[in-house]
Amino acid sequence: MVDNKGMQEVEMREALRQAIDEEMTRDPRVVVLGEEVAEYNGAYKVTKGMLDKWGPTRVLDTPISENGFAGLGIGAALTGLIPIVEFMSFNFSFVAADQLISNACKMHYMSGGRFHVPIVFRGPNGAAAQVSCQHSHCVEAMYGNFPGFIILAPSNPYDAKGLLKSAIRDPNPVLFLENELDYGTKMQIPTEEYLIEIGKAKVVKEGKHVTIVSYSRMFTLCKAAERELAAQGIDVELIDLRSIKPLDIATVAESVKKTSRCLLVEEGHQFAGICAEIGFQIQQHCFDFLDAPLVRICQKETPMPYSKILERETLPTKEKIVRAVQEMMR
Amino acid sequence: MSKEKKQIHFFPAHKNELLKTLGKEKLVAALRSMLAIRNFEIRAESAYQQGNVGGFFHAYVGQEAIQTACVDVLGQKPWYLTTYRCHALALLLGVTPKEAMAELYGKATGNAKGRGGSMHLYADRLLGGFGIVGGHLPLAIGAAFSIKYLKQGSLAVCFLGDGAVAQGAVHESLNLASLWNLPCLFVVENNHWGMGTAVERAICMSPIAETLAPAYNLKGYSVNGMDYFSCYSCFSQVSQEVITTQRPAIIEAFTQRFKGHSVSDPGLYRSKEELKKAMEEDPILYLKAALITAGYMTEAEYEAIDKEERARVVEAMKFAEESPLPDITTLEEGVFYGR
Repeated sequence: MVDNKGMQEVEMREALRQAIDEEMTRDPRVVVLGEEVAEYNGAYKVTKGMLDKWGPTRVLDTPISENGFAGLGIGAALTGLIPIVEFMSFNFSFVAADQLISNACKMHYMSGGRFHVPIVFRGPNGAAAQVSCQHSHCVEAMYGNFPGFIILAPSNPYDAKGLLKSAIRDPNPVLFLENELDYGTKMQIPTEEYLIEIGKAKVVKEGKHVTIVSYSRMFTLCKAAERELAAQGIDVELIDLRSIKPLDIATVAESVKKTSRCLLVEEGHQFAGICAEIGFQIQQHCFDFLDAPLVRICQKETPMPYSKILERETLPTKEKIVRAVQEMMR
Repeated sequence: MSKEKKQIHFFPAHKNELLKTLGKEKLVAALRSMLAIRNFEIRAESAYQQGNVGGFFHAYVGQEAIQTACVDVLGQKPWYLTTYRCHALALLLGVTPKEAMAELYGKATGNAKGRGGSMHLYADRLLGGFGIVGGHLPLAIGAAFSIKYLKQGSLAVCFLGDGAVAQGAVHESLNLASLWNLPCLFVVENNHWGMGTAVERAICMSPIAETLAPAYNLKGYSVNGMDYFSCYSCFSQVSQEVITTQRPAIIEAFTQRFKGHSVSDPGLYRSKEELKKAMEEDPILYLKAALITAGYMTEAEYEAIDKEERARVVEAMKFAEESPLPDITTLEEGVFYGR
């Protein structure tokens, strides 16, 4: 839907589609491959209509063969193309982990700078609605432990489009993490082309009492919690990381120095998670400014259970965020 | 379990024909390339024993005819990929003994600035030296995908060992390459040992290429990897088929590694008699004898070439020794391209 003020209302999936489509128009080296991306129009319809527009040389359905097609993408990236590889779920990247870990993120350094890997791996990350133990893992902490990856996790259609375009133009391997529950999220975004710089967090709302840092779908919960806390007189500063690696610790630290309190919210597991890393960096930069211990809300240390009540119990929720902030302010 | 050995259909050598068509100059150059590899490996291994080279070290000694013939046939046209046993292919594709040796020594002047080491050497057309068994096959079909997409009319050549055939990545790559008509030539260098495990104890089929290829609707070939002429004939015909038909193919080169899996391998799984028998098939001695019989070279000329190549390696070792170590302030450079 396009209005006359240069804005359009789009779902997340359409924002992503536009980013890919625009970059395919801009650069003939960009190709899309993955399971069901072509004839099926994408498992989540992100690549809807692309086969019709670009044809089977640039939009390719792969067999169920993640190790094969992830590696194929990396090999193509090494030799002149810019592949966008869709994982139907980032949980399926685990059978391609050797390609990501041993090849994609190491080639440039390992070859003394002789070869580089301009590739984007994208798809839904983390939990959806009751998809249970093997389809719900958040991969960012695991892959974040390997130097050489850029890891992006936008929370809304505007950021998603601008960041994906930057990811496709970046000459390094990018893991672009989406969320299944976000694909239908609507937002007004510009009709004109725009890019968002990789590695920049966004202060979405300024506040003076406490900083909340999150990313991807969890950020939406934080926003809802912020409104509830505001009604109780607690003024929250909200930071959407958008980019996990490189991490914009400067923006986080500046905020924490101002508010002196910080809550970190992550969908993934607690042990050695993204919050553990950010928390450590905050204490390095803000030790003398903190008025309270850092608090984190993460997924509990179990595989993701199927039952709805258990799934809800293990994940961060708006209520948990509100309660945690209330306790910090006591 | 049935382990009946099937007959191997060895690719014809066309030796007399090649002696004529290739002629003295090219064949002597081929022998020189093989001697360059042999000398490099032997000296580098001694440098390892002296503590100048660290990490893992896998020598190509005994297998020289295969990659030498392949690069003689195809030159710089293909994208190449190989395993961690990669010194030879790097040298054949234009890496100087100096930069290769300096890499082994972990020096700033090394082929990969001292970041890769023995298992990760590179050239303009060599995507690597890869350290995970079978993990480079998906990359090879990706290179073939680019060649096809960019209409370059070339092919990707991917060397792997017999042990790699047990890896799932091999199946996925063969399936995709056949399905998508990708111009990729897979070369299984069967040296009979996956580290210390005999191929018969690891792979359920023999011969590998001839048995495996039909399952993927591909052609599979067996070749005597100890014979330069056979290898040359085989690579000439099969690479042409791959380029013309835009279909992948598999060659299995039967060979022998004269050294252990790596430098730290005492080789206790292989009897002295077995090794002695293997070494009787030395590809260098075989080509040398053919060239002397053909009147292309004398024993004295052979000795002179060997000596020259040895001198080049000794010079490379001197270069490596005298080269500066990487500046530690560069440690964190180059993780990302352009960042």
